[in-house]
Amino acid sequence: MTVPLTHILVFRTTVQTEADKHCVSASLDAHEAILSWTIDLQDVDCVLRIVSATLAPASIIHLINKHGFACAELE
Amino acid sequence: MRTRDTDKELLVRKRAISMLVNDGLDGFSMNKLAKACGISVATLYIYFQDKDDLIQQIGLDISRNFVASTFDGFSPDMPFAEGLRKQWENRARFAMAFPDEVAYHDMIRHTHYGDYILDEVVTTFKNVMATFIQNAITNHELKPVAPEVFWSVAYGPLYTLLRFHRERQGLGGKPFQLSDDLLEDALQMVLNGLKP
Repeated sequence: MTVPLTHILVFRTTVQTEADKHCVSASLDAHEAILSWTIDLQDVDCVLRIVSATLAPASIIHLINKHGFACAELE
Repeated sequence: MRTRDTDKELLVRKRAISMLVNDGLDGFSMNKLAKACGISVATLYIYFQDKDDLIQQIGLDISRNFVASTFDGFSPDMPFAEGLRKQWENRARFAMAFPDEVAYHDMIRHTHYGDYILDEVVTTFKNVMATFIQNAITNHELKPVAPEVFWSVAYGPLYTLLRFHRERQGLGGKPFQLSDDLLEDALQMVLNGLKP
């Protein structure tokens, strides 16, 4: 199924390792408004990609910041 | 509202193939690709989930195109010589038209990306080829041999000639260009060798 582009949110983060990813994964998995997510640990920006029909970028940034990682929307 | 730009997506795929073939898997990054395409990294992540997804999607695309091209005008019910000739023509045309794509496919087929791509594409390919080979054996047009022997004899000479052509050099470094006549010579020898 093709995801509408408006439902894809992309962020630069400091989630750099598998252990870091493990820290945030439970919150992202459990979030009802997040349809799917990936973090590219191989990328210099550790890009977090979220698919959500309803969430605003600020909510994601808040969620990631809560775990002690930086997060900024990539334009 | 963001919209999917098909031209941009094609450019991204083309550049990614070229960068991966020239710089290898280790030298490739989403940042470098975005810069080479003149787009933001964010745009790249709209099209692909991550680097692995990009490499796999492009590999799958190439494999699907290769299979479609190989079977263009081909039917497993064809007489063996006619079917093999059609496949030689199709495979040669694809290799000459898309050298970077072929190099990309060869590069990733022995990595974990290759397993993913082969799983997806190989079943259709195998079924059609198995029918073609079985028909040829039943009709006494083909000697029953191990699949690896069949492949080596049936396609090995073609790919060796295509490699000479790609490198523009034959034996001893002499200039080489593949022609229809040379392909036909090799195909006839292959057909003779595969006869029962």
